[in-house]
Amino acid sequence: MSRIALLAALIYIIFLAGIGSLNGSVLRLALPLGLYLLAGLWRGPEKLNLSAERTLSTEQIRPGESITVIITVTNHGESLDQVSLHDPLPDFLEIFEGSNNRLVRLPAQDSLSWSYSVRGRRGSHTFNGLSILAEDSLGLVVKRTFLPTRGQLLVLPSVARVRHIAIQPRQTRVYSGIIPARQGGTGIEFFGLREYQIGDSPHHINWRLSARQDNLLYSNQYEQERVADVGIVVDGRSRINNFCDRSSIFDDSVLAAVAVSSALLSDGNRVGLLVYGDRARWTSPGYGKRQRERIMLNLALAKTGESQNFKSLFIPRRMFPTNSQIILISPLHSDDLPVLAQLRVSGYPLMVISPDPVSFEVRRLGNRDSVKLAARIARLEREIMLRDLRGLGIQVVNWNTVIPFDQAARASLSRPITFLRAIQREGRQ
Amino acid sequence: MTRYAIYISIFASTVTLAIGLVIKEFLIPTVGVGILGLIWAISYTRNMYWVAAPEFALFTIISAISIWGGISSWLAFACVQFSLIAWDLTIFIQRLQITNNKDDHSKMERMHFIQLGLLAGLSFLGVFATTRLRVNLTFGGAAILAMLGIWGISALVYRLRRHEDDIDV
Repeated sequence: MSRIALLAALIYIIFLAGIGSLNGSVLRLALPLGLYLLAGLWRGPEKLNLSAERTLSTEQIRPGESITVIITVTNHGESLDQVSLHDPLPDFLEIFEGSNNRLVRLPAQDSLSWSYSVRGRRGSHTFNGLSILAEDSLGLVVKRTFLPTRGQLLVLPSVARVRHIAIQPRQTRVYSGIIPARQGGTGIEFFGLREYQIGDSPHHINWRLSARQDNLLYSNQYEQERVADVGIVVDGRSRINNFCDRSSIFDDSVLAAVAVSSALLSDGNRVGLLVYGDRARWTSPGYGKRQRERIMLNLALAKTGESQNFKSLFIPRRMFPTNSQIILISPLHSDDLPVLAQLRVSGYPLMVISPDPVSFEVRRLGNRDSVKLAARIARLEREIMLRDLRGLGIQVVNWNTVIPFDQAARASLSRPITFLRAIQREGRQ
Repeated sequence: MTRYAIYISIFASTVTLAIGLVIKEFLIPTVGVGILGLIWAISYTRNMYWVAAPEFALFTIISAISIWGGISSWLAFACVQFSLIAWDLTIFIQRLQITNNKDDHSKMERMHFIQLGLLAGLSFLGVFATTRLRVNLTFGGAAILAMLGIWGISALVYRLRRHEDDIDV
């Protein structure tokens, strides 16, 4: 029941009772209620004529940084006794200073300017406008409107600094870089020997071998180092990223993707990105800082979803030729094995960085015996799956997200897999 | 400040009506009014703001009935006036909670109290004037006046509701 209806009902009751009983004292009780209604009509807003303008101190921030939003509302119409201004914000933004709501009086032809600061987690938000609710000061006559304003805020993902990711794709590009190209030429690492040719540097002559041969000189060959094509695939399927308590491991995948792409781009590689979530979002391969910004932008907008079928994961060859490196960042599911095997068969060297969903969920479920048992079973299943993947020749990094990604990457990704396996073998002996 | 004003208004409306009933030795209704006042105050402390509307309606109706019972019309008027203020402030404090800006709070509170004070003053003057005026009407005159009154209130309510919750885009 609205307030006006309640007041009207009471006035009618009093009025009828007063008239019916011919008692003026009863009628008098209707006076404060009638005056209250009249005041509402007298001071109530007739028509709203407002405009709003929004200024953002910056359009891109990182998690932890704050942004100041300045809003100016101008009243071009009659004076408004009570105006409630509400600037809607998404869940991932929190107010750091000030308020996104105001309750003010706006005199005619006057304007109000106020600011507040927000900070938040990764995501993108378009400020569409302000919700306005104008009332008389007694709150009887209410008028609502929505004032459109412009503004977009992007909260970029956090960055974990990883210095180097060791990859060994079978195919490299022509430009020099730091990826061993499996071809002899100029470089640092010894690659092989060949007969001396005119133009070879005397420093490269292998004197020991040449001394053993009659009339022949041999030159050392070094492994060429070039840049490579790298495709990063971030798995954003909600069924494997989101858990029942509304927590999600997807942000960890995004963090890993940022770190890996930054490291590979700073080494001069050509990096592209595919986020496989609410829809497949491609960032075409590219080099350098601009590409890094594009990837960051795409990752800032990435959301989990189920609109795509992972079974039909398609890597376009014009973007990533066969033999270029593919890095999949995914919590993984046992159903994914055939898809990954198919990629491997297609000729792509595959590296899987898998944020461990079992440890992630166990941390949230507590320390009960039933949880421990369930976690043990889930870990065993996962171990079997990871072992099968390794058996397919896929490099797998099982990342417990409690450990910062830069530490995990330093331990598992800073050296070539062959080097790490050799160390492991030596350790076992 | 609004919070204290609400408690004071609930207390004042309960006490004025209770005094009127006690004077006329209506002891059971007095206890009932006391309990109603207590429920109103407790429900407010527990943020059950919806209680304010039925409590206000009950206090107003009980005041009107009490006049038939012979209690002072001034006490009944004071009860209606204070319960109206308590109900209004309960809704006002919900609007204040929209913002956490202290400057907005104090400005809006000041404006609202001035307006409520003016309304209460005008009501008092109006009631005072009606006690001084004596008009003798015929039955036909009274009937026309009653119909005019009902039409006037209906027109006012229609006008207010027409403007209520319009959405301008």
